[in-house]
Amino acid sequence: MTHALTQSIWVDGVAKKYGDVSVVDDVSFDVRPGEFVSLLGPSGCGKTTTLRMIAGFVMPSGGRVLVNGADVTYAPPDKRNVGFVFQNYALWPHMTVLENITFGLKLRGRTSTAIRSKADEVLGITGLTGFEGRLPRQLSGGQQQRVALARALALDPALLLMDEPLSNLDRALRITMRRELKQLQSRLNMTTLYVTHDQEEALSMSDRVVIMSGGKIARIAKPREIYEDPRSEFVADFVGNTNFFDGRVVEVADDRAVVQCGASLKFAVTREDSISVGQQVRVLLRPERIRVKNRPEARENELSACIEMIEYFGPTIRYTAKLQSGENLYIETHNTSQDHVIDDQIWIEIEPKHFRLLHRNKA
Amino acid sequence: MRAGVVAFLAPSLVLLTIFVLIPLGWVIRISFNENVGGAYMRSAWVLDNYIQFLGSTWYLVNTLWYTVYIAFFATVLSALLAYPVALYIARSTGFQKSILMTLVLSPLLIGLVTLVYGWIVIFRGGGILNSLLIGLGVYDEPAQYMWNIKGVVILLVYIGMPYMTMSLLDSIERINPFLAEAARNVGANRWTTFWKITFPLTMPGLYAGLVIVFTLNFAAFAVPLMVGPDETRMIGLLIYKEALINNNLPFASSISVIMIAASSVTIIGLGYLFNKMILNKLEAKK
Repeated sequence: MTHALTQSIWVDGVAKKYGDVSVVDDVSFDVRPGEFVSLLGPSGCGKTTTLRMIAGFVMPSGGRVLVNGADVTYAPPDKRNVGFVFQNYALWPHMTVLENITFGLKLRGRTSTAIRSKADEVLGITGLTGFEGRLPRQLSGGQQQRVALARALALDPALLLMDEPLSNLDRALRITMRRELKQLQSRLNMTTLYVTHDQEEALSMSDRVVIMSGGKIARIAKPREIYEDPRSEFVADFVGNTNFFDGRVVEVADDRAVVQCGASLKFAVTREDSISVGQQVRVLLRPERIRVKNRPEARENELSACIEMIEYFGPTIRYTAKLQSGENLYIETHNTSQDHVIDDQIWIEIEPKHFRLLHRNKA
Repeated sequence: MRAGVVAFLAPSLVLLTIFVLIPLGWVIRISFNENVGGAYMRSAWVLDNYIQFLGSTWYLVNTLWYTVYIAFFATVLSALLAYPVALYIARSTGFQKSILMTLVLSPLLIGLVTLVYGWIVIFRGGGILNSLLIGLGVYDEPAQYMWNIKGVVILLVYIGMPYMTMSLLDSIERINPFLAEAARNVGANRWTTFWKITFPLTMPGLYAGLVIVFTLNFAAFAVPLMVGPDETRMIGLLIYKEALINNNLPFASSISVIMIAASSVTIIGLGYLFNKMILNKLEAKK
């Protein structure tokens, strides 16, 4: 098996249909040893079903699932040695923390000394030492989350699957747990596949992100590539906010192209190889790439706009501004001393390299 | 208590007082009266009736203990039969589920007397079941299933089934399905998952079912009357005979009080056992 050494998980053309409804459609990706990969997508995109097929809770309608080189596509869940952390933790309510953690070890017939030392180890790793005798309902959400993780880690799984493990926690705890989880994963070099609908989680924790939409994979890339170069409207829109303009390439020079978006709106963009004059394109522009200033400086891509709406987030501020040509534009700035109010006339400037172009009407 | 709460509770409290507490108090009072010559009773404060029952090995063993035994046996049988039914219903969906639920509950829709006579038609000597068994060559002559204690148990089990099934179904459906998946994930097969996860978590439903069905069985009156042997020793029937045939109200009353006490003790004992075993872990208590 040539893939055994380089792929901890290999999902090969996996599909799931319920009757005529296709939930997962020809999904292929891999997770390499020690890698943290996220499955990111909106509700109903098939990410959880994909994860559950790897764990064996759902049987695929087609394709193959390989874990460390072994085909486990139709293996029962108890024969896979993959750790799973459930969204609602799924701790057994009639068992103490220790019993929850050691249940799997007991099933494997380990000696009580071995069980105890493994339990102590994972309790230590997850910061649960001292909570052994508690029942799940006597724990906070964050603590329950740790028990779920400890239970999975106790079995030294080949890989760890997590299904939105942080989504039931409040925001502050979620961010703390996110960092702890990532640190732990790096320290243990634990191969992890992580399902989330939270783009921040996916971008901040992952080595690579698999974006799913409508049961299909929309993009597989590193977080930075996903955000900076989304390559599709869906990805651009789902990950972060984006300004979209439809236009036509009217000029191509050495390193510049000019895109005409409406009668009086033109952008100079960095030239991409595939661009030619006359092409219909969609221009993508991230709101934080727009520079706001109070007066014109006679630069490229300099436009005047009027502020119509202000959303104050604390560290950042989002303006909705109307360009003179009539289009609306999202602008995100750091919260610095410079303050604007509604109806302020401002100037904006965009460096050509910040635009991304998508081809339209390929024909 | 707030006035609004009192207003809501008042109607049921009034009904409870009129139809349960006052008659109960009256029964307790009568149980201390004297019975004169098996004919009428005289107002008194004597323990004769209790002594007559509790001082007699025959009454204690052959009626009280016997009733506990039969009632408990029938209750456990209904639980054993109802459990797989409840599991099956819990796993079915949609129309199939409604049909199954209706079937399980259907005995409750029919009057007890109709029900019992229906069963007699099936189970009696020349009944459907015997014709079938003889036709199949299982027996040469009819087996007697009615008018003996077998008949009583069969019918108690049958009547207990809907209550037991519903009670179990409720607790099976309350179990988070991910709990079983989590067990499979750490290496438990289906069988272990059932015994270590699903079964313990249905204990609240099993406990409730046992209490309801045991109470009904222990106080059973119509079933032993209709299909029991002539000399039935079920305590409910004994009370009926003492009160209405022997016209000994004080003795009937004291047996009633003893019956309520015995039933309560059994339920409390059962509760203690279940609580020690598992319920204390499941109940919210901080």
